[in-house]
Amino acid sequence: MTDSAVAVERLEKTLGSNKVLRGISFDAKAGQIFGLLGPNGAGKTTTLRIICTLLAPDSGSVAVLGFDTRKAPEEVRRRIGVVTADIGVYPRLSARENIEYFARLCGLVGGELTRRTDGVIERLDMGSFSKQRAESLSSGQKQKVAIARAIVHDPEILMFDEPTSNLDVLASKEVREFMVEAKGRGKCVIFSTHVMHDAERLCDRLTILHEGQVVASGTTAEVKGDRRDLEDAFLELVGER
Amino acid sequence: MQAALIVYRKELLEILRDRRTLLAIGLAALATPLVLFVISQVATKTATQTYTVGYSGTIPPQLRTLLTATSLNLVPVADPAAAAKQQVDLGAAFLPGEIDEYYDPSRQGAQIASVRLETVAGQYAAAQAAAALQNLHIDPGILTPLKLVAHPLTSPVKAASNAFLSFFLPYILITMILTGGFSAALDTSAGERERRTLESLLLTPAPRSRVLLGKIAAITTISLMAAVAAIGSMFVALSQISVPGPGGSAGHITLNPAAVPVMVWLALLIAVSFSSVTLALGTLAKSFRQGQAYVTPLYFITILPASIILFIPDFNPTLAYYLIPILNAVLVLRDAIVHNSVSWASISVTTASLVATGLLSWFVALRLFTREALLTKS
Repeated sequence: MTDSAVAVERLEKTLGSNKVLRGISFDAKAGQIFGLLGPNGAGKTTTLRIICTLLAPDSGSVAVLGFDTRKAPEEVRRRIGVVTADIGVYPRLSARENIEYFARLCGLVGGELTRRTDGVIERLDMGSFSKQRAESLSSGQKQKVAIARAIVHDPEILMFDEPTSNLDVLASKEVREFMVEAKGRGKCVIFSTHVMHDAERLCDRLTILHEGQVVASGTTAEVKGDRRDLEDAFLELVGER
Repeated sequence: MQAALIVYRKELLEILRDRRTLLAIGLAALATPLVLFVISQVATKTATQTYTVGYSGTIPPQLRTLLTATSLNLVPVADPAAAAKQQVDLGAAFLPGEIDEYYDPSRQGAQIASVRLETVAGQYAAAQAAAALQNLHIDPGILTPLKLVAHPLTSPVKAASNAFLSFFLPYILITMILTGGFSAALDTSAGERERRTLESLLLTPAPRSRVLLGKIAAITTISLMAAVAAIGSMFVALSQISVPGPGGSAGHITLNPAAVPVMVWLALLIAVSFSSVTLALGTLAKSFRQGQAYVTPLYFITILPASIILFIPDFNPTLAYYLIPILNAVLVLRDAIVHNSVSWASISVTTASLVATGLLSWFVALRLFTREALLTKS
């Protein structure tokens, strides 16, 4: 477990009267895409929110690059970038202003701020709309802003929480390509989805959650086993419970 | 503190690009002069308007001249009492040695006509008596064996000016601070949840207390901008309006020097304190609309006691009244405007009360801003 970028140990969490997580454990490594799969309500988003310190676990622990999420939340947040399905951007700021705002909050200043902002704008091909106010952007363009602001501080860990669920085919493809590129640059990519086709194509390793418990974990091939595809494996694993 | 400054700049930029906020500040600047202009026009019209007196009997020629010069239009009628009910502002029956006056006190025009008639009739009677005594070689001074000589400590124009400002200024100041920051506070709190930007913001390494501090500072700035716009335009408008004084003199409404620093200090305290309160309430809301439902009652709860006190000019409060937020600001500001001084005790208690309100609200806002339900119940 020492080479894990993210190590989750016996995590438990109750929200209201609902026990969302029941002692889950897994780990994700650098240079890999790790898939967190499960039906709606399985606990995927809660798990990701605990990893990125938005929620505190009731018991168990999460270590991000060696930093405990409860003891050093700001250090953890400095090292992660999160993209969610809710493409929330500040409508009265331009795309560039949105990115710069988050870059500044991550501690970037002066020339470094400009260099990194220019870098992500170029990398995500946002030059044509970077000066446009976010309220006038399309969903795909907003998603690019959301990705840009999550990666502008060059985090070692990237988390995508169902990032393509509100996007059209073309925009979804670009997000998938971006995840593969990030993996190629040695980043640890954690990808939560219930689109089995995406998971099968992208993930090196994955964990399937159901009702707050891990029902399968391993490489994509290991989880799939001798079934026709990952979807069959998923339905079998989730359906059995 | 760097994070607070970053949030402050961004919030200010975004708020100033929001049409709702700009509209609120623009209206604040326009509404006050407009209200003053209407008040001034109504007052001028009331003072110079001609009122009709339906009379019976014979009016002595000199008295007729005086009444006409006082903008009273004299119309002969058969029954002055009946005419006063509908046709004319005032009915008057001129009898030998007596004037019977008929008017409806519920009508403002009738009241003004009555005052004019009584004043002119009194002057006429005094002149007639003085002339009769002089014909008898008697000093008319015997009619006034005891003279009352008034020495007002401040000029009547200044007194009228202070009375007006002590009513109008606290009301404008507090209303504009509360309403000016209203939209901004909801936009930066409930708006974050509604636009779904809150999660991304909380994912940054910036400490949440600093994020909150930046937001409160931005709301405070907008509140003060609205107050400055309203009060600045009010004084510009007042500089164009003359207040009539005795003997035909006139002057402009001016603020006592002591009131200026007191007003600035109170504006700052109220703005900071209520920015925290509205931000705390906005944080509870999931949308701008829900936030409005939470914050609007706050406006009425705070402004109502202050408004009632404004209608009681001679209200002499004990120190305990200065513990009540907003009401205390009204009382201190009124002291400064009317008396050109403020007691240290009252300003100290007021400051402590508003600072405590601000700190308590800050603490509540921080607790609300860091609770997990903020995300899980979105």
